[in-house]
Amino acid sequence: MAAYQLVIIGGGLSGLAAGIRAARFGIKTLIVEQHSLPGGLNSFYVRQGHLLETGLHAMTNCAPANDKQAPLNRLFRQLRLPRREFPCHEQIGSEIRFGGRSLLFGNDPAILEASIDRVFPGRIDRFRRLRQEIAEYDPFAAGPWRSGRQFLADHLDDPDLADTLLLPLMIYGNAEEEDMDLGQLVIMFRAVFEEGFFRPAATMREFLGLLVQQFRDFGGEIRFRSPVESIVSDRDRVVGVLLAGGEMLGADAVVSTAGIPETMRLSGWPGEVDRYVGRMSFMETISLVSRARTATLTRDRTIIFYHHGDRLQYRRPSGYLDPTWGVICFPGNFLGLPPEDPVQIRTTNAASYPLWKALSAESYESVKRRWTEAAVSASEEIVGNYRSSIVYQDSFTPVTIERFTRKAEGAVYGSAVKIKDGVTPWPNLFLAGTDQGYLGIVGAMLSGITMVNRHILR
Amino acid sequence: MTRDEIKDVLLEIIADIDEEADFARLDADAPLRDQLDLDSMDFLDIVMELRKRYKLHIPEEEYPQLATLTSCVNYLEPKLQHV
Repeated sequence: MAAYQLVIIGGGLSGLAAGIRAARFGIKTLIVEQHSLPGGLNSFYVRQGHLLETGLHAMTNCAPANDKQAPLNRLFRQLRLPRREFPCHEQIGSEIRFGGRSLLFGNDPAILEASIDRVFPGRIDRFRRLRQEIAEYDPFAAGPWRSGRQFLADHLDDPDLADTLLLPLMIYGNAEEEDMDLGQLVIMFRAVFEEGFFRPAATMREFLGLLVQQFRDFGGEIRFRSPVESIVSDRDRVVGVLLAGGEMLGADAVVSTAGIPETMRLSGWPGEVDRYVGRMSFMETISLVSRARTATLTRDRTIIFYHHGDRLQYRRPSGYLDPTWGVICFPGNFLGLPPEDPVQIRTTNAASYPLWKALSAESYESVKRRWTEAAVSASEEIVGNYRSSIVYQDSFTPVTIERFTRKAEGAVYGSAVKIKDGVTPWPNLFLAGTDQGYLGIVGAMLSGITMVNRHILR
Repeated sequence: MTRDEIKDVLLEIIADIDEEADFARLDADAPLRDQLDLDSMDFLDIVMELRKRYKLHIPEEEYPQLATLTSCVNYLEPKLQHV
């Protein structure tokens, strides 16, 4: 008998959720995480006394505690966490600025409808029919890829409105360039426009702490600073994982949350790795600005998605970073949160992994400084000037993302080709997380849950 | 276990799964899922909890026999008679 019934590679949100599910029903489970902290793409770090979150701008899929079928509440039930002890703060309101036009949205879909009615006269009936179609569409039914862009074009008959709506849906979860699978679009549309943004009252640190505690309370074991060197197989079955330190951990089954390309490399899974390497990665800059000097800054927005130019350019940029479109997030601007000082501003822009990867150690820092400046300038055009009031600033690039998360080429949304059933060439090795096709924090956790329900618990 | 004990165990399991569950108006002969607004993932948890507690393996093709509280008790009674 192997030392563990289940070894999970990766202590991010999908790995932790998978672990809780398995441990809850008495399966001897070990999570191995390469980093010293849990969270993966959605973790945190402390610099100069400031706790900074990575990944999270906001959680999607906001829902009141009594809506049983809402993805957020299903998630809590599956993890056996008391939803009522998880206070949420809803967004103040968000905005899409696209080619000179602006749409507002919040957690009440009526805000977006009113905004569309004002900015795109005569389109509101088409938009309402679109909402209806999306409500009835089953994104989890098996089927061939369908163009989400074409779907929007057909329903709205207005390329400007279609691209404006697509911008946040793509930025918050699309691994493909230029277009988005209709199923993924439906999931994102519901998560962002129907349910909306919120954040937990505490930070990512407390949320991750809660998950790790729940996993341990059910008898699960987690090891940090334990990078996996390879997934070991014997003939046609996986028998365990080998850690970088040389320790072999036997397992009856393995769930990998490292993404398809990394899982292929670890396991020697034959196939064309390049097909599964996502091209969309981002550079993010976190600026902390002294509150006393933020009087001129935008106060009533949680997230602003912006895009200059008329047609949506969702693709890897030809330069290091594309400041012509991106996201500006104020993580402090949620209802009911105490005013933060310093105020946090986060800017996110598409970035090119190969260019960042090719930089020498000496030039990396200066190039990073230059593009941080460019990203800040672009955001100042939209929210007002804050550069001179920055008390702390930090940026991460596609190379940073790859190093901490093992997502090949820093592709935060993973492969454009998903393996929705999580199945690999080995009968006891499964995928969970980004490359299995669910999106966002809630999606990542539902992915871990679903894969354990389907492949481990049955 | 007696029929009443089995029923109590089932309600306890459901209450653990769903903190919002309201048993006040539960009809023992109507489908549990509809009445309690449970989905297939919650339903799997009932099956898994029974397995964990009583080492009871319920094959998937027999899940329909667990539709109502009464049918659950009917199905489980012979399986749990020595527990």
